Amino acid sequence: MSKEAAIAIHQLGKSYEESGRRHRIFSGLNLHVNRGEFLVLLGRSGSGKSTLLNLISGIDLPDSGSVIVNGTEITALSEHNRTLFRRHNLGFIFQSYNLIPTLSVGENLLLPLELVKPLTRADRDAVAALLDKLGLADRYDTYPDRLSGGEQQRVAIARALIHEPDLILADEPTGNLDLETGRLVLEMLDTLVKKAGKTLIMATHSREVIGQADRIVSIRDRSLVSADAFGS
Amino acid sequence: MRSVLSRASRNFLWRHPWQLALALLGIALGVAVVIAIELAMESALTAFDQTRKAFSGTATHRILAGNGGLDEKLYTRLRVEQGIQQLSPIVSGYVGLPNDDRFRLVGVDPFVEKSFRSAWQEENSDTDYFARLITEPGTALISEQTAARLNLKVDDEIMVTTGNGEQRLKIIALLSPSHAISEQALSGLIVTDIATAQETLGLFGRLSSIDALIDDEASETLAQIRRVLPSDALLLSAGEQSEAMREMTRAFSINLKALGLLSLMVGLFLIYNTMTFLVVQRRQLIGSLRAMGVTRRQVFQLIIGEAFWLAVAGTTIGVVLGMALAQGLLHLISGTIDAFYFRIDAAALRVTPVQLGKGILLGLGATLLAVLPPALEATRLPPMTVLVRSRLESGVRRLVRITGLAGGLLIPAGLALALLSGKSVMPGLLGIFLLLFGFALLTPVFTLLAMTLIERVFGRFLGILGRLPARMVSAEISRTGIAIAALMMAVAATIGMDLMIGSFRQTVQEWLQGTLRADLYVSLPGEKKSIAGAAGDRQLKARLAAHAGVQMLSSVLTTHIIADEALTKVSVFDLNARARRGFTFKQAAPGGVWDRFEREQTVIVTEPYAYHHDVKVGQTIMMRTEQGKQPFEVLAVYADYSDQGHLAMSRRNYQRYWPDLGYSGIGIYAKPGVDLKQLEDQLGQSLKAPRSIRSSQAIYQASMDLFEQTFTVTETLRWLSAIIAFVGVFSALMALQFERTRQLGVLRAIGITPIQLTALITGETGLMGLAAGLFAVPVGYIVAYVLIFVIYLRSFGWTMAFHVNVAIICQGLALAFGAALFAGVLPALKMARTRPVEALRNE
Ligand SMILES: Nc1ncnc2c1ncn2[C@@H]1O[C@H](COP(=O)(O)OP(=O)(O)OP(=O)(O)O)[C@@H](O)[C@H]1O
Ligand SMILES: [Mg+2]
Repeated sequence: MSKEAAIAIHQLGKSYEESGRRHRIFSGLNLHVNRGEFLVLLGRSGSGKSTLLNLISGIDLPDSGSVIVNGTEITALSEHNRTLFRRHNLGFIFQSYNLIPTLSVGENLLLPLELVKPLTRADRDAVAALLDKLGLADRYDTYPDRLSGGEQQRVAIARALIHEPDLILADEPTGNLDLETGRLVLEMLDTLVKKAGKTLIMATHSREVIGQADRIVSIRDRSLVSADAFGS
Repeated sequence: MRSVLSRASRNFLWRHPWQLALALLGIALGVAVVIAIELAMESALTAFDQTRKAFSGTATHRILAGNGGLDEKLYTRLRVEQGIQQLSPIVSGYVGLPNDDRFRLVGVDPFVEKSFRSAWQEENSDTDYFARLITEPGTALISEQTAARLNLKVDDEIMVTTGNGEQRLKIIALLSPSHAISEQALSGLIVTDIATAQETLGLFGRLSSIDALIDDEASETLAQIRRVLPSDALLLSAGEQSEAMREMTRAFSINLKALGLLSLMVGLFLIYNTMTFLVVQRRQLIGSLRAMGVTRRQVFQLIIGEAFWLAVAGTTIGVVLGMALAQGLLHLISGTIDAFYFRIDAAALRVTPVQLGKGILLGLGATLLAVLPPALEATRLPPMTVLVRSRLESGVRRLVRITGLAGGLLIPAGLALALLSGKSVMPGLLGIFLLLFGFALLTPVFTLLAMTLIERVFGRFLGILGRLPARMVSAEISRTGIAIAALMMAVAATIGMDLMIGSFRQTVQEWLQGTLRADLYVSLPGEKKSIAGAAGDRQLKARLAAHAGVQMLSSVLTTHIIADEALTKVSVFDLNARARRGFTFKQAAPGGVWDRFEREQTVIVTEPYAYHHDVKVGQTIMMRTEQGKQPFEVLAVYADYSDQGHLAMSRRNYQRYWPDLGYSGIGIYAKPGVDLKQLEDQLGQSLKAPRSIRSSQAIYQASMDLFEQTFTVTETLRWLSAIIAFVGVFSALMALQFERTRQLGVLRAIGITPIQLTALITGETGLMGLAAGLFAVPVGYIVAYVLIFVIYLRSFGWTMAFHVNVAIICQGLALAFGAALFAGVLPALKMARTRPVEALRNE
């Protein structure tokens, strides 16, 4: 466990019980991700990519093993503290956007900030600036359902970044988008995440992304293997 | 295809057992309340009918007079002189037993015409005890079960108390119930021959009534009877009698049924809500099915078929529940009928197919009706749409405006119907229903306004998270609106009824305090007083007057005479100046009442009597007396809340035309400075068994107890509908939280803690409760107003003052808020405990 490691996963085990039968997803899985690293996660459908991201973010818990993020063993935290940890250190981008439908675009972005500290004028300006950068400057008061899929995903990315977390997890962020829009979203991630030196783990099939990654791993036989060989 | 199709939807139901259970409960409770009221009411009235039939059997007509009874010579005259054969004389009255039971004593002629015998006479006619009833004086029959209950056997004697003291009757045989006459009808009964009954009840030479069997064709016989009918007697057909009895309790019964319907209506909201939920939840499924080639009609059938089985199951549970509930209600309902209308001998629950059928039809029909809108909506779903909630919600907002408009129209229509519908109760109640329904339709509009206001006012202090509850309420108004409306209706009905009962209670309290002027009251009970007992009563009064501590007396005799061709209750007063001050006149003839009340041929009438008989001051009422029909002028209408209306006349007036039957009650006014407790004890010692003395305070207390008791039915039913509403809100909130599981999962994923989530959800439900409560207050007021000035006036002829009670309003608010908050706790806890990942997976 080097000091540089943003994420250290040790002997992770996870299985689901379904109608009496045990279904193993991981056993003895290990992973180290360095600070500022852009890691791409590959694997067949159903191999457990989403599951792994959920375990890293702490919205799901493993059966065995530990997950350490930025030096904190989140698997040992209480539900409450794990939530607070997530609030401060993590940004999550879902495949299906998952914006809060009852909040406007601006409010969706302000919410993570408000969770960290009381809102100020500056926060609003920051949100407006970020929206501007995303080409959504005039959509501050719009509700998410009026946006196209690509626009929604851009807002979702902004939401994951607005409170400046160290670690960003993205689960097939372009999966629901057409090629062109997907490319736009990736460009954004590139400038906002990679250039800013944040750690990013992304589950994806996109060849373009694979090309930009620092490292590629693949889930095989309930564990991770380095995927350089078969990747590109 | 078909079976897999239905399995696709059925599986969905099984996977949401909570929703399934709550929907069933909603249907079941609604049906149960309606059935329970129907059964209990019908059973109470049937009990009355049955006792009558036990004697009158096949009788088609009855000759009756006031409490003085008929001269028995009339019977001989009809039978011998007129040659009318099919007549049956009856002497009846109530007697007390040592164990405080009250029994009906009936004297009959065991050997009346065979064709005319009632069932039990027929079935027991081979035995010799009919002859013994006549030949041995002081002999009686009771039923086997009664004998067992009282631990009596043949040849034992029972001690009965009447107004004239105690008497012994020897039991010579036991009657067994037959298929034609139930144990029930026999259970409170002692049968003797005419002479024994006359002697026991002190009705020497008198008959209570004469039953007659007259074929329709032989109207000649009717004319014959009318020719010799004395002027103080009345000839009524069995139909007329039974009709009059039902007519009396009609308003009472309608009011109860309205309460039942209220429960069902709240239950309907619940069913509608659940079914909508089930359709909304399956939009994706239905869209996919449609894409696969399932037709609109098949989708419709699917939903309706499902609702049908739900309705069958819910109704079945409701029927069973209803029968159990009816058992409890029966006691309360017969108690109320007993207190306000007429005596009911022990009533047992009778389950009739008609009453059950009504409940079942209502349950099935209502469920299918409630499911129609969501079922139609389901057929309109285009194949394979990815539905965006808010697109639906913006359609809903248009709907909110339309329903709001409809509500705005229904409210004045309901008010107009209630206020402008003359004297009938039914349109009044219909008006209340329209009102409630109109306000329910207006609820979503009101809720949206309230939420916007809350956000505007508090939003700036609350931050985004704090603004979220109000947002969530208005964003999903199609779901929240229904729950709020259901809760609002139940709470408004509660507030309305509480305000009405409170006003009524205060009115009755003030009336009793004003009326009970004497210090002590001696009661001389006896449902029917007799001529024979009058002398004893007079002696008692003289003795009371002579007591050193007594300043003066007043007296009343409660009896029945025939006024305006109907058997009518009269209070015969002998009043002193202080007692007179206890009367509150609602209307009075100019120039004073009391002087003319004593001197001229006049009466005063109670408010309900005036209302029901449309009698005004200055009109005359015709009374049947032995000296022919006599006109009595109405001098005044006075406040009285003791029954459904009676007349009052002075003792002097009464004795001019009717036999002296003694007194029913004597008011004692003590000399100044006399110790009342001591006086009560002294006077009490000289009173024998059924007679008793009570302080005015004790009478006041007993009257208020009776008041509370008669409202137990109302209160019980009201709570039931509140419970149904609560179940409705509960289920709506469960459905709501279930629907947004994913959204809540996202919140958890971005860092909302379980506690914050709980606060968020309870905040939302609390707001819903608050909205319902706030809206329910003015609606409850209007309901109370209509109840007091329309429904109660029309049902009972009572006017009362509207007393506003702040505590009741606060209670209503607390009820709405508390119920909603409580209903939100379970989903909130459930969501807080769910792992975010599970919530996110949900779709
Ligand atoms: N709650 C659950 N209960 C049972 N099995 C589950 C549950 N969640 C996931 N699984 C199973 O775990 C396996 C991994 O699922 P996961 O969603 O992580 O796959 P994935 O690699 O993200 O696939 P995809 O590329 O299709 O998104 C699957 O076989 C899935 O069926
Ligand atoms: Mg996945």
